[in-house]
Amino acid sequence: MPESTGTGEQSGNSGQHDPIPTRYPHHGPGPMAAIAGGGALGTLARYVIERAVVVSPTGLPWATLSVNVLGSFLLGVVVTLVVERWPTDRYLRPLVAVGFCGGFTTFSTLAVEIDRRIQHGHIGVAAAYLGLSLVAGLGAALAGITLAGGRLHPSLTGASIPDPDLLAGDEGRL
Amino acid sequence: MTAVLLMVAGSIGALLRYEVELAVRRHTVSDFPRGTLIINVSGSFALGVLVGLAAHHGIPTTVVVIAGTGLLGAYTTFSTFSFDTVSQAGRGQWRAAAVNVGGSLVLGLGAAAFGLVIGQAL
Repeated sequence: MPESTGTGEQSGNSGQHDPIPTRYPHHGPGPMAAIAGGGALGTLARYVIERAVVVSPTGLPWATLSVNVLGSFLLGVVVTLVVERWPTDRYLRPLVAVGFCGGFTTFSTLAVEIDRRIQHGHIGVAAAYLGLSLVAGLGAALAGITLAGGRLHPSLTGASIPDPDLLAGDEGRL
Repeated sequence: MTAVLLMVAGSIGALLRYEVELAVRRHTVSDFPRGTLIINVSGSFALGVLVGLAAHHGIPTTVVVIAGTGLLGAYTTFSTFSFDTVSQAGRGQWRAAAVNVGGSLVLGLGAAAFGLVIGQAL
């Protein structure tokens, strides 16, 4: 948090837990417009992919799976880069992280797709879809973070994995 | 035209998610990503209701696409769920990571199933 300069409360972790939204860096018309614009583009991209990939109601929903894995990877890269290299940037995170990645990926479609397959007795497909989404999604986020220079444990030297709750702009990671 | 309305719905969904996340953070001080959990569970329930309604009441496909794919698809998010879980594990909070995964799946799938039943019964 660049604006918290030496006022005595900086012992240890800087700016730890200050969720009171008095000065959210992403507030204001510009960043809010970036969220809206990124959300619109992410939603459109997901729609295009879901139209292009033919998915049988009883088969594996490859479109949503691909979207969620790709979006998780991109979010890992972008949040790590913003946090580690461009901490004062006001637009990249609202545009790409909150807007695009949040609008591109979806949890509700995943949940309904799994439930409908269970409802129709395709338990194996539902389980495979769920397992693949988790393994590939979490793996993609991890790969994105690592590729962008994040480290998995703070005790390791170098940049640690971005801790979303300790950093300025933490609400912008959606 | 559908694409334009879809994009408008997507931007509303993204802004709504941001506002809900902020509102949750105003009320709780926690490491646990409860904002995203609330967003994903509520959005899954709403999509369940919509899909259940559509299956039995012949709602126009365009409406389902704009409200479901657009608004609710953008409102809920998988990427933040992945990122948060990896972050928790990276901080050594394995139990919290497991609770986040298990809680999101059980509550999210349960909410969607409940929504589907309600939508189909209406």
